[in-house]
Amino acid sequence: MALRWWWRSGSWCRRAPPLGSVPSPGPRVPPAHSAAMCHITQRSSTFSFPKICSIFWRFHHTSSSHWCSCSKTISDEKYQDPFQLGRKDLKNLYEDIKKELLVSAAELKEMCDYYFDGKGKAFRPMIVVLMARACNIHHNNSKEVQASQRSVAIIAEMIHTASLVHDDVIDDANSRRGKRTLNQIWGERKAVLAGDFILSAASVALARIGNTTIISVLTQVIEDLVRGEFLQLGSKENENERFAHYLEKTFKKTASLIANSCKAVSILGCPDPKVHEIAYQYGKNVGIAFQLIDDVLDFTSCADHLGKPTAADLKLGLATGPVLFACRQFPEMNAMIMRRFSKPGDVERAWKYVLQSDGVQQTTYLAQRYCHAATREIRKLRPSPEREALVHLTEMVLMRDK
Amino acid sequence: MWGALLRRGVRGGGGLRCLSSGGPPWSQVVSEAEKIVGYPTSFMSLRCLLSDELSNIAMQVRKLVGTKHPLLDTARGFVYDSRNNLQMRGLVVLLISKAAGPSTAELSFQHDMVSGIYSSQRSLAEITELIHTAFLVHRGIVNIGELKSCDGPLKDMQFGNKMAVLSGDFLLANACTSLAQLQNTKVVELISSAIGDLVQGIYYENSKSHEENCLTDDIGISRWKEQVFLRHSALLAKSCQAAMELAKHSAEIQDMAFQYGKHMSMSHKLHSDLQPFVKETSSDTMAFSLNSAPAILHQEYRGREAWLKQIRELQEAIKAGKGVTSAIDLCRCHGNRALAALERFPPSEARDALANIVCAVTRFP
Repeated sequence: MALRWWWRSGSWCRRAPPLGSVPSPGPRVPPAHSAAMCHITQRSSTFSFPKICSIFWRFHHTSSSHWCSCSKTISDEKYQDPFQLGRKDLKNLYEDIKKELLVSAAELKEMCDYYFDGKGKAFRPMIVVLMARACNIHHNNSKEVQASQRSVAIIAEMIHTASLVHDDVIDDANSRRGKRTLNQIWGERKAVLAGDFILSAASVALARIGNTTIISVLTQVIEDLVRGEFLQLGSKENENERFAHYLEKTFKKTASLIANSCKAVSILGCPDPKVHEIAYQYGKNVGIAFQLIDDVLDFTSCADHLGKPTAADLKLGLATGPVLFACRQFPEMNAMIMRRFSKPGDVERAWKYVLQSDGVQQTTYLAQRYCHAATREIRKLRPSPEREALVHLTEMVLMRDK
Repeated sequence: MWGALLRRGVRGGGGLRCLSSGGPPWSQVVSEAEKIVGYPTSFMSLRCLLSDELSNIAMQVRKLVGTKHPLLDTARGFVYDSRNNLQMRGLVVLLISKAAGPSTAELSFQHDMVSGIYSSQRSLAEITELIHTAFLVHRGIVNIGELKSCDGPLKDMQFGNKMAVLSGDFLLANACTSLAQLQNTKVVELISSAIGDLVQGIYYENSKSHEENCLTDDIGISRWKEQVFLRHSALLAKSCQAAMELAKHSAEIQDMAFQYGKHMSMSHKLHSDLQPFVKETSSDTMAFSLNSAPAILHQEYRGREAWLKQIRELQEAIKAGKGVTSAIDLCRCHGNRALAALERFPPSEARDALANIVCAVTRFP
């Protein structure tokens, strides 16, 4: 599936204006390109043509955009800021998480609480809470979020944070979200313990929901996170296999959590298995898009803004979307990819190749495809402000700059 | 023999007693127990260990041979642990499951039973071992910031850490997945909380006292017992309780299983702490921890001041004797041999630098 899009994006991009060019006023779409677009958007009747063009046109900008500035022009009239909609349910999210972390040793408690300071994006809990409402409304017009659904939001954020703590030890990272990592301050031994503790607390909370299906769904995430890390350890020789491998790793490391949390709240809110599948597919597609954009930002953003160092993936020896696409135009990158950018100068060379190529646009385009898929899925639910917020959220994923 | 002991205890109504003469050796206890539960437990969770991920890790860990990363010792321990301590927990969970007998709950409780143990209980025994092993691995991580050049290349240590975190996480993830498959939320809650206890126990074990150069912790025996419970007992105690829950035994039986697990592992820890102090036939003195139970209790009886004074006295005794001067002589002797070897090299800046190193390491105030 990914390969097909890859070809299409290739043919599209050859006609695209070069990087950094000033776009002419009004959307400009070459004729062959619009034919391809019609084919791609055939299945979705809800997306109107000019909107897509305006999105593509916007991508030829390389300037960063903020969360809300462009969004009003492309959403429906019923647009509401997703953060506002979810705010009530998420108001005490971090306080509640800290309450789950019952530790007697003061230093260990401090470590466990460290990332729950309210400064994270709370992106995952927000999706979960909005999906919960959308499913509840779809089922019986109930506008309330159940306590168990809210617990899922909390558990998702805890599992995510526990995996971040371990990832930072594995990657020997020294900053995250604009501050020093746990391992940097307290050492690797204690950091690993803190991560284990957060995970165990998440499991306890999960068990307390009292639903064995939900336990199975969310435990799958824990397994996927670890397997995703292992996938990242290995690599594929073949160029085509590499892309599938990259997408599988992306699913396991990022999208699985979102997909399964969405599925979990849909199970709690609605008995219809079709709804569960819709929630899962939405989460999966948004999750993959989110990671693809993250991989793009590693090249296009600057370190201060992002809160963590850039070119991080290259320095870790990882070949992400932009690199894999760039490799098509610059086959000399193959050798660097295989040796995981280990030779001196590899990181800088690869960086330059990527920025010279269309790797960033290709990856962004792919992310957009996934967002479209997510939108198609969620629009199958009964209309509601929450449903539209989830659509809007896919746009926010594409527009974000950190 | 073990079975006979149990039977006598149950029928005679005289309660279980331990043989005053010492009883069977550990290895015999273990092999008798394994017969009771129906198979050798030495290779439990082999299925998991044979997975692709872990064989990948095993191959990578080979790169650590020759480095000083602790993961290598952990891996070695898997193969050579003669006391079979690694699998003890799982064995106990199986035994207590069998000892409790079939479920007395609703007759519709249809689970397969082999050698008197339900398959869910066997799975739980494996899960307990998985968790224990995961933490053995996670404990083998080094603090990068504290490494010295004598520890070897930084990248070896970073690599070892990476392998340790990943393999520990893999084992934990497997444990979580198997837990979910038991389809019992109370058991998931119990075992998850046991993991949290274990983390805190390990944390306390690693924390040094805040007083500078202090060799022992300033804690009394009750605090010591709390920390030892977290570190050594919680996992087994809660697993035993969980095994009872899986067979839907009463709350009373669940509590008794918990008490067995808790108190037996407490005894086990105290037993191992006492070894350096009770062995009559040891030719050399065994190393002992100043934070072991006898030392902590000694501190309680004598008071902390008196105890610290005794430690200082020991240090003074060593200083006053001939041990220190002899050790200094030995140091200088080796230094001279190094310098003699250097004589065979042509004079150069490098040779001078090497000679300076010898002088630096043989210098004493």
